[in-house]
Amino acid sequence: MVVDYLGDQAIAQDMAVACFYFDFASREAQTPTNMLGSLLKQLLSGLGVIPVEIVEKFRGQKRVIGGRRLKLSDIVKMCATVTSFRPTFICVDALDECVPRHRLEVLDAFGQILHKSPSTRMFMTGRSHIRGEVERGLGERAISISIVSRHDDIGTYLRARLRKDTTPDAMDGFLENDIMKNVLEKISETYVPVERPESPCELYTDT
Amino acid sequence: MSRAFTENINSFNVSNTIFLTPADDESKILAWLSPLEAHVRHQDICDQRVDGIGGWLLETKEFRGWYNFSKNGRSDHTALFCYGDPGVGKSYMWYERLSAGDKGYYC
Repeated sequence: MVVDYLGDQAIAQDMAVACFYFDFASREAQTPTNMLGSLLKQLLSGLGVIPVEIVEKFRGQKRVIGGRRLKLSDIVKMCATVTSFRPTFICVDALDECVPRHRLEVLDAFGQILHKSPSTRMFMTGRSHIRGEVERGLGERAISISIVSRHDDIGTYLRARLRKDTTPDAMDGFLENDIMKNVLEKISETYVPVERPESPCELYTDT
Repeated sequence: MSRAFTENINSFNVSNTIFLTPADDESKILAWLSPLEAHVRHQDICDQRVDGIGGWLLETKEFRGWYNFSKNGRSDHTALFCYGDPGVGKSYMWYERLSAGDKGYYC
């Protein structure tokens, strides 16, 4: 698995991996500060040491009533610094599930990190309607690629699911082939790409 | 006692200097940075993913151009955005990408 595999590679090749998953259900908690803070936390975790600047701010904020979080600008600066010292992969899933106003801040933060840290690479996924936003936010650093369901992938998935059938006695080669044939044919007949922008402002026209 | 950590990476001029220190309260400091944890969703995707799906992505020129930085330290594109419709498997694709070491890539 990705992060598991990269964890092994990180040890062998002195590289870092951090990931984040946006989720509609958690969108209020997934603020830019919390999101970038989570990445910074992962990048620092396991090092056994903490940047002095962070330690001082942590201990200083405890004297403030109710405490005080690190500012987004400080987190971004620290992410850029920490990722400068070794190759780093930052992986972000479902960027479209980030609140739109937060997404602009997040993309700006990514741009700053990539600018200051040339050995960092970002991998992002999201629905089609935010492609323009990502490309505008990251400029020439970004390249996009369309992900579509392919017949051979669907076939592989179907076979894997059929192997986990909880009533295997009811299955035989004929029925399995029939299911495979019919499902793949139906997908060919009915598959129509669907765009689901969150708001009219998010519509993107590919020119 | 803190120590400075400064380094040039792959011929890029990195002038950042950072002072690092062991901290007895490291776990509290890391928790203070963010209350969010990524490992729960990660485990969900690990459990549901089917091996062998999405390998075609690794052969695209977009992916290769982005990924090759690992070997030569430079790339025109430092950010790769995989976009698609709901349900096409984007979240599972990135696992295929990231576990690409057995296909000749390395991270």
